Amino acid sequence: MITFLGDIKPVLRLFLQTRRRELLLGATLSVATVTAGIALLGLSGWFITATALAGLSATTAATFDVFAPSASIRFLAILRTAARYGERLTTHNATLAVLAALRERLFRGWASAGAARALLNRPARLLFRLTADIDALDSLYLRVLVPAAVAVGTALVASVTLGLINPLSGLLFGFCLFLTGLGLPLAAGRLALKHARRRAYGIETIRSRTIDLVAGQTDLLMANRLAAQQQAIAAADTYTAKADDRLNRIETGVSIGFGLVSTALLVAALLTSATLMQTGTITAPVAALSVLVAFAATEPFAALRRGAMEFGRTILAAKRIAPRLSAAQADFTPKAPSRELAFALQNVTVSHHGAASPALREVALELRRGEHIAVVGSSGAGKSTLLSLLSGELPPSAGMAAALDATLLTQRTELFQDTLRGNLLLAAPDAGDDRLRDALAAAGLLADVDALPSGLDTPLGEGGMGLSGGQSRRLALARLFLRDTPLWLLDEPTEGLDGRTARDVLHRLALRAGGRALVIATHIRREAALADLIAVITDGRITEVSRRGEAAFEKALDRLRPD
Amino acid sequence: MVSAFFDAREQQQVEMPAVGVAARKPANTNRRLRSAAMLQALAAALWIPQAGILARSVGRLADGVGLGDMFWPAVFILLLGMVKSCLDAVGGRLAFRAARSELSEKRANAVRLLARLSPVDAGRPASGEAASVLGEQAELIVPYLSRFRPARMKASFVPLVILACIFPISWIAALVLLFAAPLIPIFMALIGWRAQAASQKQLIATSSLNAFLLDRLRGLATIRSLDAVDATALKLRSEAESLRTRTVAVLKIAFLSSAVLELFSALGVAMTAVYVGFSLLGEIRFGAWSGGLDLSQGLFVLLLAPAFFEPLRELSAVWHDRASGEAALKALDGIAAESMTLADRDKTGKLAVDAAFALRVENISFRYRPDQSPIFEGFDLDLAAGEHVALLGASGTGKSTLLSLIAGLAPCSEGRIIIGGASADRGHMAWIGQRPHIFAGTVAGNIALGRPGISKTEISKALDLAKLGGVAKAYGHSPLGEGGIGLSGGEALRLTIARAACDPDIRIILADEPTAHLDAETAAEITESLLALAEGRTLIVATHDPLLAARMHRTIRLDTEHLQEAAE
Repeated sequence: MITFLGDIKPVLRLFLQTRRRELLLGATLSVATVTAGIALLGLSGWFITATALAGLSATTAATFDVFAPSASIRFLAILRTAARYGERLTTHNATLAVLAALRERLFRGWASAGAARALLNRPARLLFRLTADIDALDSLYLRVLVPAAVAVGTALVASVTLGLINPLSGLLFGFCLFLTGLGLPLAAGRLALKHARRRAYGIETIRSRTIDLVAGQTDLLMANRLAAQQQAIAAADTYTAKADDRLNRIETGVSIGFGLVSTALLVAALLTSATLMQTGTITAPVAALSVLVAFAATEPFAALRRGAMEFGRTILAAKRIAPRLSAAQADFTPKAPSRELAFALQNVTVSHHGAASPALREVALELRRGEHIAVVGSSGAGKSTLLSLLSGELPPSAGMAAALDATLLTQRTELFQDTLRGNLLLAAPDAGDDRLRDALAAAGLLADVDALPSGLDTPLGEGGMGLSGGQSRRLALARLFLRDTPLWLLDEPTEGLDGRTARDVLHRLALRAGGRALVIATHIRREAALADLIAVITDGRITEVSRRGEAAFEKALDRLRPD
Repeated sequence: MVSAFFDAREQQQVEMPAVGVAARKPANTNRRLRSAAMLQALAAALWIPQAGILARSVGRLADGVGLGDMFWPAVFILLLGMVKSCLDAVGGRLAFRAARSELSEKRANAVRLLARLSPVDAGRPASGEAASVLGEQAELIVPYLSRFRPARMKASFVPLVILACIFPISWIAALVLLFAAPLIPIFMALIGWRAQAASQKQLIATSSLNAFLLDRLRGLATIRSLDAVDATALKLRSEAESLRTRTVAVLKIAFLSSAVLELFSALGVAMTAVYVGFSLLGEIRFGAWSGGLDLSQGLFVLLLAPAFFEPLRELSAVWHDRASGEAALKALDGIAAESMTLADRDKTGKLAVDAAFALRVENISFRYRPDQSPIFEGFDLDLAAGEHVALLGASGTGKSTLLSLIAGLAPCSEGRIIIGGASADRGHMAWIGQRPHIFAGTVAGNIALGRPGISKTEISKALDLAKLGGVAKAYGHSPLGEGGIGLSGGEALRLTIARAACDPDIRIILADEPTAHLDAETAAEITESLLALAEGRTLIVATHDPLLAARMHRTIRLDTEHLQEAAE
């Protein structure tokens, strides 16, 4: 129970920070709805019994005040309706507000350097897990917290009502209600935790094996493993089904428990009322009232049942998400180099987490301001690692790294679901249309944009869908052009473009670079030809640095892929 | 945590035969669901006798009987309550198990269909889409079948029974309830589409929020580099807030339906109570059949009033399970609809080891879609065993398609492929694709692919041949990144060469543009590995690379007429 709270605390804190008042109001209205229902039924029972007794003789029947009780009954009916409507609206509004806050916070959590790299390595799985976890947390308030609040509120109201009639029985009743209402779901949540986790893993496995089946179909088919892969998916389904079955058993146990407790409380109320009536402590209408209150007070159990099961999944989600909510922001930004340099690396070694050998070994390299350097080498030699180091995504594990403020043009064009303008404004939030158009013109995309019916306001799809490969790259280039940092890092800037487009893009890049320093990671000749220096990197080591005009420079160029 | 994953994978071989779910007919699932729903409806109806005993007991208490007379009623209420809980639980379990086995079946069926699709068909579902349909979306079938169906049964059965019990006591009370739930079917439809609209609106709102978040997380490197983390976070927030405002505006109207349900159910109870009260006082003298109501009857009616509305409320609570469940069923059934399938290749049995593996392509025709022009029409090709051939030609002339047809990745509409005189099977072929898929797992696991009878020695030989020893050492026993992240294009290709190298049965190697997108050095190395692999085997390479083509025995140029053949 204590570890439960520990896991869920960061999430709860976030919830409360966002919409404390609304969250509480929603819970209160929920309690009010249920309480009005209890009062309605209790009062109705009292009224019927009282009228029956009064109706026995004509005189009492004539003097019986029917107005107050019947008006109260109607009032409670209206109150219940209004409270229900208000509750639904408030709780949903509060949930949506909390979701907004949760997503913002998670984004910030993932946007720290260390987390961002972890995400880069396993994007699909991590993003899927993240979505599933967020969805689980979405239901925390509506499905778990509100029903729990209602259970507590109802237990209080019912025990006070019954306590006014007879303190001891009220106390006992409230205690039972409280214990079952919170204890059973908590116990179930605890039991369910393990199976909820297994189920989540099972579904993830079904997912990843299905991806393997579809994306690796040719490889599997030719190795005669297609049938085995189908079996592997079926096995993951069996695994999930087992966990599912355990969860369902727990849920069934909870509902049996609730059912038995409801019946027991009802019988207890009947017998207590009979006892109290025998001793003359209460009258028949009050006895009817307490039986009906006991009956109605178990209503919140129904909502708790589903919440109890979601609780296990929610804890799992909270456990996984919490580190991102309170992550200390990792900052690997390199310090500034001395005056005339763009970057300086002294005996820098970089190791990726978990890798057997370092990605960069004792690299010593400098670049003066305004100079262009090409870093060449086969894929996997450490080019991208070098760029990550310079852009502050990775810390050196040994040695000293210093670099000017840099902007990275990633190898894969990364555009976003937004308008063209929105995509550009990321680089320069205050830029006016003139500056944007200027950058687009420099990237050779202005004519294309002007040809679009909505121009800069044209929306792009997920990941920038809607543009051709060349257009996407030019847009990324225009975005780079808007960044006035003294160092630009370009990771294979024209990979995947046809020769003509590529040469045009490179030409524009050279024009626009001005006095900036450039680092170009490449294995294509046309890209390296832009540079003043070529550094050859093999297995994480710089094996050769040559300057334009030297024989080694031309030789290094000749080894690269012609286009 | 991770071990849980691999547990499932390790167990697969052992457990599978048992899982081979005896193909049950869907009718069976429906029958099981129906009986489960009946049990649960029966359990709900058991409240009627409970309420009857309870009402009578309170009535007798008012008449002045003592505690002793309460013993048997209490026992009966308790017993009925137990039976009720048990019936409900048994029904719930039955429904769950029927629903869960239906899910397993649907899933297995979808997997079977997916596996049969031709990988060269562009209309095939993307792996991500297939994964989300088979993974999390398919899970929604269970709540739909196991919760919604029983709830619907309860809602159409229990209120009627209650009405039938109240009617003999007081026709006017029955009438009040009937009016409070005006024409149940219409009412349900009203709640139905209102609630559905509401939940869908909310679903769309949350999923578009998730899409926004994922879209930005995918491009995090760029956002960080542009110093736009803060701006993006704020934009995410404002987007979420504006979505909230819009959604709440819709919910304000949509929730009216649940308020109406609440109003009717509360008014139903209130009106029943007031009517019963006034009739007990003697101020109302109509509605009951004879001589007015007594207290027990009145209480009985009052206790049944909330139970009358309960199933309706329950139904509206699970309504959103229906839309998502039906969508999931549709997606699962339609995942592999109307697409090209793999060529049927019955195993022809093992050819003798020394059999001649001459390859004959006989008069084949193929087109991707009926409305497209044919790629091949009456095409023939003969290859001697052990021959190395390069297929050349501009993009779109059918180099890759020809390889696919030989491998049986797509069916020829006419003609056939013959190896050593028998119709071809894939057992003796290896495929070296441009972008091989890297599976989650170690380097060695990716080479063996779980094929039985591949020893460690064979794997290390294959690693040597493909010059992959360094990578295998660097990764050791740690798994490769998702989809081969961290492996370069060249290394991924080497991996497929190693995959082929450890199967001694391979006689024919089909390589689809193996050196495309590689730098010159890597391309040269791959060429050497490929030739080493192809020693004594037939090799067919589709390529644009003149250096690779020059290393073959002969080149075949495919042009738009497909029939020009140039021997070298």
